[in-house]
Amino acid sequence: MKLTRRMTIAAFAAVLAASSAIPAYAADLITIITPSHDNPFFKAEAVGAEAKAKELGYETLVLVHDDDANKQSQLIDTAIGRGAKAIILDNAGSEASIAAVQKAKDAGVPSFLIDREINATGVAVSQIVSNNYQGAQLGAEEFVKLMGESGNYVELLGREADLNAGIRSKGYHDVIDEYPEMKMVAQQSANWSQTEGYSKMETILQANPDIKGVISGNDTMAMGAIAALHAAGRKDVIVVGFDGSNDVRDSIKSGGIKATVLQPAYAQAQMAVQQAHEYITTGKTPAEEKQLMDCVLINSENAGQLETFALTD
Amino acid sequence: MPNFKVAAAFAVAGVMALSGCKIIKTPTAEEAAEAASGGFNPNRMVAEIWDTKVLSYLDRKAGPFTEVAALAGSDPQAAGAKYGHKEKQGSAPWTFAARLSGTIVKAETKSRSAYVEVDADSDGKADARVQIGPAIRGTAIRDTLDFVNFNEFKNQIEWAQFGKAFNTHVNGLVLEKLPRDGLVGKKLDAVGAYPLPAKGQLPLFVPARLTVGG
Repeated sequence: MKLTRRMTIAAFAAVLAASSAIPAYAADLITIITPSHDNPFFKAEAVGAEAKAKELGYETLVLVHDDDANKQSQLIDTAIGRGAKAIILDNAGSEASIAAVQKAKDAGVPSFLIDREINATGVAVSQIVSNNYQGAQLGAEEFVKLMGESGNYVELLGREADLNAGIRSKGYHDVIDEYPEMKMVAQQSANWSQTEGYSKMETILQANPDIKGVISGNDTMAMGAIAALHAAGRKDVIVVGFDGSNDVRDSIKSGGIKATVLQPAYAQAQMAVQQAHEYITTGKTPAEEKQLMDCVLINSENAGQLETFALTD
Repeated sequence: MPNFKVAAAFAVAGVMALSGCKIIKTPTAEEAAEAASGGFNPNRMVAEIWDTKVLSYLDRKAGPFTEVAALAGSDPQAAGAKYGHKEKQGSAPWTFAARLSGTIVKAETKSRSAYVEVDADSDGKADARVQIGPAIRGTAIRDTLDFVNFNEFKNQIEWAQFGKAFNTHVNGLVLEKLPRDGLVGKKLDAVGAYPLPAKGQLPLFVPARLTVGG
């Protein structure tokens, strides 16, 4: 018995030793961390990054932080513990994430940020982000045109801690506010969520039946809003989204939502993995840390070319 | 006489120092916004560099519009290297600096994002669309400058505000004074910038200098 126990302990110790030595062997792990895949945008990012990593011969670990900075911090610990060679991260807040990315850097794990930036440079190796302001201007210009430069409208905002919510709203207003006959009658956050988009729209519509348009900070909220509008028999209200999801593409094709703005999510994620690969193999960093990817307006003219956050020719 | 004023000022200052009073100026809305954003004031930044750096850069870099457009059509890289600028990374298109001279063939002045279309090669057809505000689309002036860079800004919001400040500056300096009637048929001369247009679209030109006459 004694012997067995000793052996068990020895075996256990060996396992422990082995597990702490795993980082030395996991030479090829890339960890991909994004918000919840409930939103097809984040799913496309994760799928794009994973496909590229596998193509380059890496193992992958795909995780979601659900927009919770604490959870993100734990996932970064997991990545460090597993000896990841790089982290591809769509972060959980432009301020709250700085410490988490710094922690990874201190542990020798480089981070490559996609979609959302952080309010600091020199912590991540790359920050590849959509030009949200340029995209929001495209969406707002189309919205203003559809509205005939006048009328009451509603704005649905994204999650407040997310810098992209603020930048899109700013891009919208820098265009729309130039038109004095465009009047915003309600502005509320629906936290990027489709169900909240639906319920907020329902309430807003009751208080403001005289609306002509809705401009939304992303596509999932726009999908919620159009469903609420249609449920109330309001097929006349102009809805414009942001992201370029397949759901909104289909809605545009069937005459529901009028326009959205494509963010090249798939390409962005693949570019981040490519830069991670170059960094891992050659130590080379990109010429500039913060990199902007231009967005493209999607309406009935080009919706047919849209597939999984990429335009085909 | 001036000595009196100085003396008076000293006297007032002395009295105040003695009585322990302090004048606190009420901040204007802009100053308050600047303080709230940690000293970031894009309008002032643009005003400070406009004459000394922006106009001199555009004057130096700009090529005749017809030449820039022809080269951009056949070889955007070569046109970019000669007349344009873009960020080293990312996917922004080239933004070119150009001197545009021609005749106004169409004017849309009912929209808040008003524009005139200009025939630059005397074939009677429009070659460029010049934005005359007050709503100006895009950030072409910022994007054509090689001495400003996104990486030197805190985030996209400040970079965007900086871009918008160029448009605001052009509006106040040039475009607000422009008459809106009887523009068609007049001659236009401008120095400005435009991003590489999508296929089949007219270049969307933002002027930094503009004269319309005759």
